[in-house]
Amino acid sequence: MKKILAILLAACLVAGLSVSAFAAAPDLVIAVDADVDTLHFSDHSTTTEVNVLNQIYDPLIYMNPDGSEEPESRIAESWEISEDGLDYTFHIRQGIKFHDGSPLTAEDVAFSLEMYLVSEYQGAFVEGLDSVEVLDDYTVVCHLANPFSPFMLGLGSCYIASKAYHDASSPEEFASTPIGCGPYQFVNRVPGSNIELKAFEDYYGGAPAIKSVTFKVIPDSTTSAIALQTGEVDFAEIDSSNLVMLERNPAVTIALAPTSGFTFVSMNTEKEPFSNVAFRQAVNYAINREELIEICYDGKAEVNSNICAKTRFGYSDSQLQYTYDKEKAIALLAEAGIETPYDLGTILVAEKYQNIAVVLQEDLADIGLNTTIRTEEFNTYIKSLTSGNYDLCALEMTLEGDTQQLALAFTTDWIGMANNARYSDEQMDALFAAAAVETNVEKRAEIFNEIFTKAQNEAIYAVICNPEIIYACNANLKVPAFVLEGYYYVNQFSWA
Amino acid sequence: MQKYILKRILYMLPVLLGVAFLVFAILALTPGDPGSIILGITAKQEDIAALNAQFGYDKPFLIRFFNYIRDLVLHFDLGTSYSRRQPVVNDIIARFPNTLRLALMSMALSAFIGVSLGILSAVRQYTTLDHVLVVVALVFASIPGFWLALMLLMFFSLHLKWLPSFGADTFKHFILPTVTVSLTSAAGLLRLTRASMLETVRQEYIRTARAKGAGEKVIIWRHALRNALIPVITTMGTSFGASLGGAIIAETVFAMPGMGTLLTTAIRQKDVPVVMGATLFLALLFSLVVLVVDILYAFIDPRIRAKYENGGRSRE
Repeated sequence: MKKILAILLAACLVAGLSVSAFAAAPDLVIAVDADVDTLHFSDHSTTTEVNVLNQIYDPLIYMNPDGSEEPESRIAESWEISEDGLDYTFHIRQGIKFHDGSPLTAEDVAFSLEMYLVSEYQGAFVEGLDSVEVLDDYTVVCHLANPFSPFMLGLGSCYIASKAYHDASSPEEFASTPIGCGPYQFVNRVPGSNIELKAFEDYYGGAPAIKSVTFKVIPDSTTSAIALQTGEVDFAEIDSSNLVMLERNPAVTIALAPTSGFTFVSMNTEKEPFSNVAFRQAVNYAINREELIEICYDGKAEVNSNICAKTRFGYSDSQLQYTYDKEKAIALLAEAGIETPYDLGTILVAEKYQNIAVVLQEDLADIGLNTTIRTEEFNTYIKSLTSGNYDLCALEMTLEGDTQQLALAFTTDWIGMANNARYSDEQMDALFAAAAVETNVEKRAEIFNEIFTKAQNEAIYAVICNPEIIYACNANLKVPAFVLEGYYYVNQFSWA
Repeated sequence: MQKYILKRILYMLPVLLGVAFLVFAILALTPGDPGSIILGITAKQEDIAALNAQFGYDKPFLIRFFNYIRDLVLHFDLGTSYSRRQPVVNDIIARFPNTLRLALMSMALSAFIGVSLGILSAVRQYTTLDHVLVVVALVFASIPGFWLALMLLMFFSLHLKWLPSFGADTFKHFILPTVTVSLTSAAGLLRLTRASMLETVRQEYIRTARAKGAGEKVIIWRHALRNALIPVITTMGTSFGASLGGAIIAETVFAMPGMGTLLTTAIRQKDVPVVMGATLFLALLFSLVVLVVDILYAFIDPRIRAKYENGGRSRE
């Protein structure tokens, strides 16, 4: 018996010891909370994937995601838009090399955009695009069927990949060993564990300061927070619950990034009493947003009852903001013909939104509306929402890109998908349709103003806030200020 | 003996088929389809439908199940992951070594701690040492795994800076996860060994051994321990099998890519081929471990060995 145990112990020790030696430490270690499923340039679906792909691939142009600034040149050196808004001509920078050394030409651009056209994953980025025409090696024209003003912003998210590499490699290889023309090139990947990149010295925008980057998959935010303090990780997105621990440590700095994502309460407008505007307004006034942010986000979110983030194109302070006002809420309930105490039904949530539901329940009880909370597994929850099988629910959603994306929350076509309120209004549908084809910036802003004024006045949703992304990094790492959505580009980082 | 083993291996086939059918059916009964889970609620219906058609998820349940089993049996093909669009085999190959290493190391450590302290506790029954061990075991058996893991991290990685806080690259990376997993199971083994030993030493044959004048060491090691270990080994076998399924908490906290996190993520994403591949692989391993445990009995207990051999012979 002793022998068996001894042999077992020895076997285990050998198993433990027979592991690969440590490779040279990379210049920068970034912790991500989930592994990438793919590194395919057009068929990706998660934020982590975008954060990795942003280092490897470049788009034609870069646009600040809030849509407020002019496009910046990337692969395209210059561009012209025809008078009728149907033809976008791009002049491609000469001498750009892919990571394998081959030159980037108009063929690669056309190929890449065509891949987006047929992509089930990110086809939305080329919405409005009809066809791509190659004029010469360095000129490409995008033809649109109808004018579509958010086109450039979508294009800013489209990466350009190598056609030759795509044709020569197997689909698996193409998706797992990417070759782009961005500042970093792919080196190696261990599934579930890490992705290694190194600086691309021939990058057309100049060789990056940080020479090697490793993305490490750390699912637990507390572990990332500890690894940041031990120096094993240099940069990570963290949960607000770990903020206190990190703020005390002088070796770590915190940077906040605004997002257009929104936390909201959705009411099923197909049901009574949620179909009543006064009632929905009452709910909006009943929610103490500041308190909710303190409890659920440790204060790291911007109060906003408008579905349109404050830095986003189309937002205006003239659009109604709902603030906590119990008296007004009670008065509006009376106006809606509700006699309190009133049994309102169920607040449906997935587990991660449970604390929001608890705060909401308290606030509603405060004005005499009684609710019960029901928690469902996430996929079941989404199924219940999309099939309209709920009364009230709370969730976070992101409708990134052009403000036009918010049509998903308001228009009839999207009932059963992202239009959680199941709101259907001909005028609203027409306004979004008009905004899509309007190319004049001022006129477009006016249309959006009309849309959000209507949305706020009718209290279609009870939006609460725009949560912020909390980044924690090594105090010696210099990172630029984060713009909307908090995407980062490692070639803009440097060590102090 | 060989015949017995062969027979047991053949029995595994219907077991595995049953497991496959059950898991497939449970996945089919849960709401949501892979297309809409991957693309989310901001996607167009036609894109979701196209993706589901690509996966073959638009076909009825029984046809999907039949196709799956056909590919598995005829081509040994575990299929392609919906979310990664890569062969499921790659996922298992990438993650199983970590899981196996963690399971082996924690079993060795928990067996060493649990069995030796369990014997000690039994031999010194009702002494202070015994009381202390029983209480400590109770504490560790009741501590939630994730809390223990975080405390170990805070202490050994953050304050002492002795050990890395995450990853699975070197032996050092395995120390904290191993301790996390083994402390809880060692506590259980200690209690079981102690109880089993105490029961054994009250048996008639121990009294006989004492009466014939055998020394205390011989009594404990030769007469009592062998008999007392049978339930302990059974427990070790099943808990080893379970830890092959992944010590999910340790894997998550210490960012160690293993079978447990693979399986939980796949279930959440409704990645049917990955869930199926991983479950079948684990079910096969588990059956093998149970078989090995049964064979181990024969080495410990000659009576059982005799039974196996008789069983084999009677069918000749």
